[in-house]
Parts: sequence; structure tokens; C-alpha cells
Amino acid sequence: MVSGKTIGKPAAKRANWSEWLQQTVFVGPGLIAFIIIVLIPFGMGFYYTFTEWNGLDLGNAKWTGMTNITRILTDDPRFWQAFWFTAKFTLAAVTVTNVLAFLLSLLLTQNLRSKGVLRTIFFLPNVIGGLLLGYIWYFIFVRGFGAIGEATGIGFFKLQWLGTPETAFWGIVIVFVWQTAGYMMIIYIAAIIGVPKDLMEAARIDGANRWQILRSILVPLIMPAITICLFLTTSNAFKMFDLNLSLTGGGPGNSSESIALNIYREALVNNRYGLGTAKAMLFFFCVALITITQVWFTKKREVEA
Amino acid sequence: MKKKMTMALASAALLVGLASGCGNNDAGGANAGTNTNTGEGAATEAPKKDVTIKIFQFKVEIAEALEKLAAEYEKETGVKVDVETHGGGEDYSALLKAELAAGEEPEIFNSSGWAGFDPYVDRAADLSGEAWAKDLVEASKAQISRDGKLLGMPMNLEAYGFTYNKDLFEQAGISELPKTVDELSAAVEKLKSAGITPFALTSEWWSMGIHTLNMALANHEDPAAFISDVKEGKATLKDDPTMKEWIKLVDIMFANGQANALTTDYNTQVAEFATGKYAIIQHGNWIQGMIDEVDPDLNLGMMPVPLLGDTANVFTGVPNNWIVNSKSDQAEEAKAFLNWMVTSETGKRYISTDFKFVPALTSIEANAEAIGDIAGDFAAFSQEHPDRVLGWHWDHLPDGITQQWGAAMQEYLGGQISADDLLGKLDKAVQDIVKK
Repeated sequence: MVSGKTIGKPAAKRANWSEWLQQTVFVGPGLIAFIIIVLIPFGMGFYYTFTEWNGLDLGNAKWTGMTNITRILTDDPRFWQAFWFTAKFTLAAVTVTNVLAFLLSLLLTQNLRSKGVLRTIFFLPNVIGGLLLGYIWYFIFVRGFGAIGEATGIGFFKLQWLGTPETAFWGIVIVFVWQTAGYMMIIYIAAIIGVPKDLMEAARIDGANRWQILRSILVPLIMPAITICLFLTTSNAFKMFDLNLSLTGGGPGNSSESIALNIYREALVNNRYGLGTAKAMLFFFCVALITITQVWFTKKREVEA
Repeated sequence: MKKKMTMALASAALLVGLASGCGNNDAGGANAGTNTNTGEGAATEAPKKDVTIKIFQFKVEIAEALEKLAAEYEKETGVKVDVETHGGGEDYSALLKAELAAGEEPEIFNSSGWAGFDPYVDRAADLSGEAWAKDLVEASKAQISRDGKLLGMPMNLEAYGFTYNKDLFEQAGISELPKTVDELSAAVEKLKSAGITPFALTSEWWSMGIHTLNMALANHEDPAAFISDVKEGKATLKDDPTMKEWIKLVDIMFANGQANALTTDYNTQVAEFATGKYAIIQHGNWIQGMIDEVDPDLNLGMMPVPLLGDTANVFTGVPNNWIVNSKSDQAEEAKAFLNWMVTSETGKRYISTDFKFVPALTSIEANAEAIGDIAGDFAAFSQEHPDRVLGWHWDHLPDGITQQWGAAMQEYLGGQISADDLLGKLDKAVQDIVKK
């Protein structure tokens, strides 16, 4: 820690010292936790990327250079299948989640009697943990839908929802949307409420119709919220693991295996920690690249009233 | 100003305390590889009452009984035994590795033998000198021994084949068990024309990737040699004649199961079989306990699986072993617990009656009533045709292969790939893991 020893006057010295003390007190604990929990493991992971290691005893890690990376890039179709699945999933999940969340927030900022209750209801799924929620939905898809299908004969419910590649994909999308849309809705609601009333009123007096108000006033003004929501859903969808594990376990076959699940299995099922970490590193850079691009892109469109 | 300063200092002191607390914990976590668990380490000096041993086990079927046994042990000796169960639908070995990687070192855990045991050899305490070791059934030792040392206690013996519902077979007019694949096919037709769904299937990777595949592996002259040839690329499953026969068998099973096989997990499969909805299920005596919960009077038997010619087989092996973790704090206590479990009257009673085990120790007598119809049929069959009792060979394969075999089987079950593709994928799964 730097104490202000170069400063002559005691008062100034004390002020400077107090400044540092405050920084340490308030930022320090968080910083220490961050370093220990995030930065150091990340650095270690960077090292494992270039080793062959079974994950159990650190002494057994063997330096292999670029072998893992080459292998992933040239000889790992399962990883790329998982990558493709995740990309498709992210596209579908992000679109549906945000459209739905935005529509809900529009609806629930109108003068509805029940809007408080409805907001709570839509937000609620977010409070349930992902794994638990996955198992609940597993039950709904397998037993619930089955029973409804048998009773009513409606084709939609008679599908083997988690049993074929296509329906398994949409099954996971449905649960993901159900879980996250409420949270995004809250962010959109906050943004919509924050839009100055006078602007809307002025537009209405000028004769703008609902669509024009939405497109030219509301959307540009809530652009910061859109940035945040897109960012959150994109990175969450990319990293999706718990729903995948609990709903389909990557099945049938490997058709619904997300990258996160693929990495987990490479490391902990196949006993190849080094290779798994290498995948995780590649994955990290991909997600970083995509989300940064997205934030940069939407930030450009943010305006101020 | 002064007051503000004091406040700042006070809160600083408080936070430094917190932060250092944090730091200590994390240091513990970082050292986990070398196993320092301060909390439990301190317990060593404490009176015996404070000793806790943790069992990280996989057998869902015995979870409850094992906890009761643990409570009895605590009553007798004062040693607390924590049981944590992960199995059935969960991937036990991945969870165990995660547990070990996180620096948790449970005193006792489970491991299969042969190659499945490789990752844990460093951790396994030598049990050759234990009192019970001399009583082990001969065939159960090799899988868990290394360099002549016994490194685990075989849990029990299990056997599987086609477990079938005798009443439904009678109802369909099948008086004699099929001895060949063709006869099986005929029997299946009879069942169907009597309005009975022949097979209860499941999409569980292990049921297909391990048990179904083993039917073919075990039917080789020397399964271990065949598997090692496949691993080295000297032989492929695709060109293997036994595998081609096996495909016929699999086709009969897959074509005659319930419609929603791909979304049926193990629990559902067994529960529905127990209600008498299906005639045949490809599982072994481990389902007896679950069946008894639904319908203890269900009239079951074990039908040998026909594959080559007319010598149908059942398959037996040691599913799992108790491993004492030498890197844990209470390894000696763990040995004492295992010893008590198989030598004390209470322990023996639990193993034969409550766990419903076919014991791997000759010193414990199997309880004919407890092991039930399925194991009873197996015992009778193995007396009559000892040469047709084949082994379990999946553990010669390193981790990761059978999971991918299971995934490929799911695709075949779902009709997404052809039989040729299936065999190709099985070969590829082996090569993918074997090559470094």
C-alpha cells in the first residue's frame, strides 16, 4: 500500500492516506475475492490448456504445447457439433426471449389492474435454480405432456419432446425462455417507465400513431436496456449448462449437447482435463468476441432524450 | 473529521478480519490437492466420538439401508458415518472426480474394477491384510487387484440377462424359454399377438452402452484380448461377426419396446415393468428392490440371453468396489468400518437381508428370500450351466467410451442412424478416447 510519504503538509498527507484506506477497505475485499476465485483459476486454466492431465493430481500434468488446440481445430467433430448446436440455440433463445420480454413489458406498463401480480408471476421462474427447474420441466415434458396427450389426443403433446433431436432443441429453448424472459421483462419495464412522459405526449400531439411512437421514440430511448438484455441473454445462452444437463443430458445421441456440457464431459467423463480446459479457453474467447461485438453494435445506437 | 476517521479505521479492522478469514479458507482450497482439511484434521486429536467418515457411494438401491447401517455403527462405536449417494440417473464417476478435484477426499468411495479403477489407484489403500480378504470369492479379486495387492472390497455379485415376467409369458402361451435368436423372435411375436408389449426399453446410456454391448463382447472367445485389439486398432467392431449377430438381437429388442423408449429413464422403466406392463426387461437382480416396492408378488425370472447358436447366457460380475481413500484423514477408521460391515452379525444381516446382495464373500450367506426371484434363477442357472455364465467386460475400456456407445445406441434406437453407422460410431468412440 502507498502511504503519502512525499507530501509535506500533515493535513494533505492524512487526506491522501485516508483516501487510500477507503479504497482498500471498500474495493479490497472484492478485489481479493475476484483474484482468488476468478483470476488465478483463469491463469491456471491457461496453463492446463497446453498440458495433458487427468484432472486428479496436479503433478501428473504433462506439457504438450499446441497439441490440444490442433486437435480441437482439426479432429473433434463432436466439439463442433456442440458449437453449432449452441450457436443455433443462442440465436433462437435470444430472439424469442427478448421479443417476448419486450412485449410483456409493453403490456405490463399499461394501465392494468393486475400488473403487479402479473409482473411477479412472470419474474418468478427466475428465482428457481436452473437445475431444479430443469428437472421440473423434464417431468412436465415426459410425464405431463404424455398424460395430456393421452387424454386429449392433441398431436403437440404426443410428441416425444426430449426424445428427438429437433424437439429436444425446442424443449430447451422453451424452458430457457420461460426462465429468463421475466428477468429481461423487469429490465425493459424499468427502462420504459424511465422514458420522459413529455416526449411521448409531444409525439402524440404531433399526430404520431402508436407504431411510430414505439419505433421512433420508445425503442431508441430504451436502447441501453436493449444492450443489457441482449448481452445478458447472449452470454447466458452460450454458457447454458444446467438446463442441458437436467433436460436432455445432451441426448438423444449427442444431438443436444451444448459446448459447456461438452467441456464438462471432456474433462470429467473422458478424464482429459487438459483438452477440456483448452476447449473452455477457445469458448471463452468466442463468447467474449461475440458479446463485445454485440455491445459495441447496440451501444452505437443508444441516444439521449 | 476525527470521528469519520475512527469509523473508517473500525470498519477497516472489521473488513481485514473478514478478508483474512477469506484468505485462510482459500488457502485451504488451494492446498486441497495435498489434502489439508483443517476442519476434519482437528478431529483426529478429539475423543473418538468426533470422528466422521464420509462414504461417497453410487448404489441408489441400498442408499436407505446403508444409512441405517451407518446409524447402527455410530451407536456401537461412536464413529459417525456420512453417506452421500449419487447414482441411478446421475453420472457417478464424473461427480466423484469433481469431488476429488475440489479437494474433498471422502474416506470411502466406489470404483469399478479394471480400467475404470485406473484414475484412483494412487488413492486406494492396500486392503490385502484385512481379516475378510481371505473370504473373497476367487473370481471377484482380479478386477480390483494391482501388483498382487488387493486395493478394494468387492461390493457384491450381480447378474443380468433378460429378466422376464413369468405370468405374462404363460399368458402368451410360451412354455419354453427361447434358446436362439430366432426362437426369441418367435416368442416376441407370441407376446405381441397376446397384446403384451414385449420389451421395456430405456434411453439410459449405461443400460445400452454397457449392458447391451457387453452381450456381444462377452461372447467372444477371449473378450479381454478382443477389446485390447479393438483399442489398438487391430480389430474393429464393424467387421466382427459376433457384432453382426448382436445387431439382430438389438433389432428385436428395439423394434418391440414401448413407443416412448427414448424418454424413459431407468426409474420409469423399472417402475412400469413392475406394474406388469411389459414382459421382458434387460436388467439384472439389482432391480429386485425397486420391483418389491411396487409389487413384491410379481412372478419374475431370469432368462438367459440368446446370441450365438443355442447357448444362451447370463452375465455376472462385480459391479463396484469399496475403496478406502488413503489420502483421506480417517483411512484407518474407514477400514475398521468396512471390516465391521462384513464380519459383525449386524453388518452381515444388512448385506444379505437389507441390501439384498449376492455376497462376494463366502463368509456371508446369501438370503434366498431377500435376493428374490431374479437372483434365485441366476443361482440355479449357474449351478446347471457354469460354462454359460459370462463375465462383465466393459471395465476393460477406459472412461468415456461406454458413454459414447450409449449415445450412439440412443441414435440407433431413435432410428437416426443405420446399423452400419452404429458399428462405425462404436469404433470411432473407442479410437477417440484411446488416441492421445
